[in-house]
Amino acid sequence: MATVTQGTAETGRAEAGAKTSRRPVLRLTMQWIIPAAAVLVGLILVAGPIVSTIWRSLLGSDNGFVDFTLANYSGLLFDRSVREGAANTILTGLGVTLLSSLLGCTLAWIIARTDLPGRRTFEIVNLIPFFFSPYVGAMSWLYLAAPNSGILTKLIQPATGGWLSMPNIYSVGGVVWVLSLFYTPYIYLFVIGPMRSMDGALEDAARVHGAGFWTTTRAITIPLLLPSLMSGALIVFVTSAGLFDVPMSIAAPKGIHMIPTDIFKAVQYPTDFGRASALAAIMMLVTIGFVVIQQRYLKRRRFDTVSGKGYRPRPVQLRWVGKTLAMGIQILYFLTAAVLPIMALLMVSLSPLWTGVFRPASATLSNFNYVLFDYSLAQSALANSLFIATVGATLGVGLGGLQAYFVRRQSSRLSGFIEPILSLPIGIPGIIIGLGFLILLIRTPLYSTIWIIVIACVAHFFPMALRNISAMLLSINPELEQSARASGANWAQSMRLVLLPLLLPALTASWLLLFIILIRELGASILLYAQGTETLSVAIVVLSDQNFGYVAALAVIQVAMLLLGFFMMRRNGAAFLGRQS
Amino acid sequence: MSQSFVKVAGLTKRFGPQTAVNAVSLDVVERQTLALLGPSGCGKTTILRCLAGLEKPESGSIEIDGEVVFDGERGINLMPEQRRLGIVFQSYAVWPHMTVAENVGFPLKVRKVAKPEMRARVTRILELVGLGAVIDKPATQLSGGQQQRVALARALVHEPRLVLFDEPMSNLDAQLREQVRLELKVLQARLGFTAIYVTHDQSEAFALADQIIIMNRGHIEASGPPKAIFHAPQTPFVARFLGLNALEGSVARTTTAEGASYAEVAVKGLRIWGRVGNGAALRIGDPVVACVRREHVGVGPVKSSRTASDEPPLQSFAGKVRTSSFLGLAEEFSVEVGNVELRAVQPYLGTLSGDVEVTIYPDHCIVLADSYLDGRPG
Repeated sequence: MATVTQGTAETGRAEAGAKTSRRPVLRLTMQWIIPAAAVLVGLILVAGPIVSTIWRSLLGSDNGFVDFTLANYSGLLFDRSVREGAANTILTGLGVTLLSSLLGCTLAWIIARTDLPGRRTFEIVNLIPFFFSPYVGAMSWLYLAAPNSGILTKLIQPATGGWLSMPNIYSVGGVVWVLSLFYTPYIYLFVIGPMRSMDGALEDAARVHGAGFWTTTRAITIPLLLPSLMSGALIVFVTSAGLFDVPMSIAAPKGIHMIPTDIFKAVQYPTDFGRASALAAIMMLVTIGFVVIQQRYLKRRRFDTVSGKGYRPRPVQLRWVGKTLAMGIQILYFLTAAVLPIMALLMVSLSPLWTGVFRPASATLSNFNYVLFDYSLAQSALANSLFIATVGATLGVGLGGLQAYFVRRQSSRLSGFIEPILSLPIGIPGIIIGLGFLILLIRTPLYSTIWIIVIACVAHFFPMALRNISAMLLSINPELEQSARASGANWAQSMRLVLLPLLLPALTASWLLLFIILIRELGASILLYAQGTETLSVAIVVLSDQNFGYVAALAVIQVAMLLLGFFMMRRNGAAFLGRQS
Repeated sequence: MSQSFVKVAGLTKRFGPQTAVNAVSLDVVERQTLALLGPSGCGKTTILRCLAGLEKPESGSIEIDGEVVFDGERGINLMPEQRRLGIVFQSYAVWPHMTVAENVGFPLKVRKVAKPEMRARVTRILELVGLGAVIDKPATQLSGGQQQRVALARALVHEPRLVLFDEPMSNLDAQLREQVRLELKVLQARLGFTAIYVTHDQSEAFALADQIIIMNRGHIEASGPPKAIFHAPQTPFVARFLGLNALEGSVARTTTAEGASYAEVAVKGLRIWGRVGNGAALRIGDPVVACVRREHVGVGPVKSSRTASDEPPLQSFAGKVRTSSFLGLAEEFSVEVGNVELRAVQPYLGTLSGDVEVTIYPDHCIVLADSYLDGRPG
């Protein structure tokens, strides 16, 4: 508790300014202990799954002896399905990165740089897919595009006389398609900020000195925006490749190998932790490598395109060709990423028996009825998810906030490498974090409780809160708190009366963001759940091969919850969605 | 009579409901510098951007070196890259992903100049602005002053006929500003370009320009050589902008002496004689503004006897010092006379406070007809 140097706070009122510039190495006050403890907890949460995974991957068995071996890794090398899985995973990552970059940049450019009517609406609309659960997104696209029973498939085939048919969605291509729709908003958010705030003079200077529109775009605009795009693309590559949800829905049922689903399979009966952890360790090291590259890359090549005396670029005036094209792209994206999937889900959930065609006449709420009121698994799953999301978001924001305070206010020397280390989990796939905690805690009483899921979720996502709050703290001048201290407030008071009110928008936004992400989390919860602790996403997966109607109803409920969260964020001022870098 | 190198006629530009530039016409003589001076929002930068082709005016015409680059009626509007100009922005707009040579060589590169010639011209212009040593450095490694010169070199390398400057000095410290100002004059004489310079800094405008145009809310308030504008402000807005005391009141009496008209202005509890400024025929009761330079307001200790008369000798008033600031060689006062506040600057005479005597020669007070209210066009 507050001890030794508490006295100096009182006596040092007049010297508050001088005191803060002289940083003693160790001061055992609450002011230091609490944030430092948060940083410590964060480091444990980051290191825990990483260390346990690597450790277990080097062990020959689970029987408690430490018998180091490389057999798990060599076993992977000679397994053809693993090679196939690795290839598919990498292909997926590349495909998603390319497609979502293309789409994301185009959409961002349309919104930020043209005068397309309806831009404000589209701006909101473009972010909606961000809040879908990828598994549900994949499910809805299966309803839409399944080879024989898909809604669109059934529409297109007869309409075009059979020569144009729906591509097979049960493929790596299908996985790439769905994931791209889901990841486009990521890229969009990464590039739209820089696009908007770029100094217009940079392009105008090129124009006045002789370069036409396309030359300017090629020589000036694109090179200046490339770092932001690359930064986003690197993260999208690793996270899309490591996502469990979509391969589980689309690839696994047809036996297409992908690393995340292979990890999952290795944990199912008969459990082979050695194999699972070896796979996970490889993937984890690759993703960590990418995240580190991204952090370094950002540092070295970030161009300051925003200068104090600059001005916003003028919007490009679109003529009717451009307007039609831009409008078309926007609408197409909205349809494929939001409207069609939701429609498909609604159709299936409102049909008593799904045969691929929606008959409005027989629409019924019976599925919803059953799921909400009669199906105990669904009810407990809903309760569990709400619990995990609420508690997890609160813990995550609490941890992230304290860590941000530590990094930004208390230690500028350490913050250089503390923040990057604490940010690592963002790049690590959820299923790997889940596996790490499973291995770590399987022999503890936490296993099979809801708390192990909470821990894993917090470990995965507290860096998001850390980043958002850290960014906000950067923009709040420390002198505000120092004035409070100089006027006689102690640390707790200056926090409560000065800093917390200023941070409230960031805290609320981070809480909502975490809440939404945790409602739809799947990778960790699918490995850590036990009977009674199923989450909504897990229940949807478990139900998937059973009744279509029930599972669609559950999915609609989840989508409704997520969209509600989205609109709450907008009302709160979701500027923080933009701080991805 | 020299030909107009740049002819702007009836230029109007609106942004939504706001008219930024209101039917402005101006001329610039070849190889001369025109300064567009005025407070923020007066339209000076908008005019510059219209000249550059970065904004499309609603109506009017712009002709540069005999070529019509914009004509609202005839539907002519050349793209910026077709106008063959140079421009220096307030933020310099130096491209961070290129070296100095690539920045400066850009106008030549897009004109498909051969590499050896490009290199030679880039080297030459960089040496002219004193940056020969950093020619291959990445642009991000330069200081603010260096970046400004890169912007300048880039604007000149392709030998444009007209160079536009948009407040290029606002980010520089005072010393650097003076230096660059001098160098600009030298460069202009040497390279022979015409310049249009936008600024809100009066001393900069007076130092650099052959012609000054003072703008206010989209229209021209004053136009002429620097000395003429300085010595004889024609409107109350200009007087205020130049920092003169501006007292609003109405004409109480008029008279003529030695061929010049004088008017006595009644201002809130004060009556002051001044010379009629903008040649107007004033009648009793007309609203006017009496303008006096700070340097012409004398502040001194109260004398035991005061003289007052109808004719225009030195006028004196009783005043109270509100604040005083020591400026080194001079002192600045804020004095309350009657119900008005006057600013005065004079050589430091020793501490003055409390009750003082304020003296103003009628010839130093310019009486201007106040056809506007608050400087807005009537």
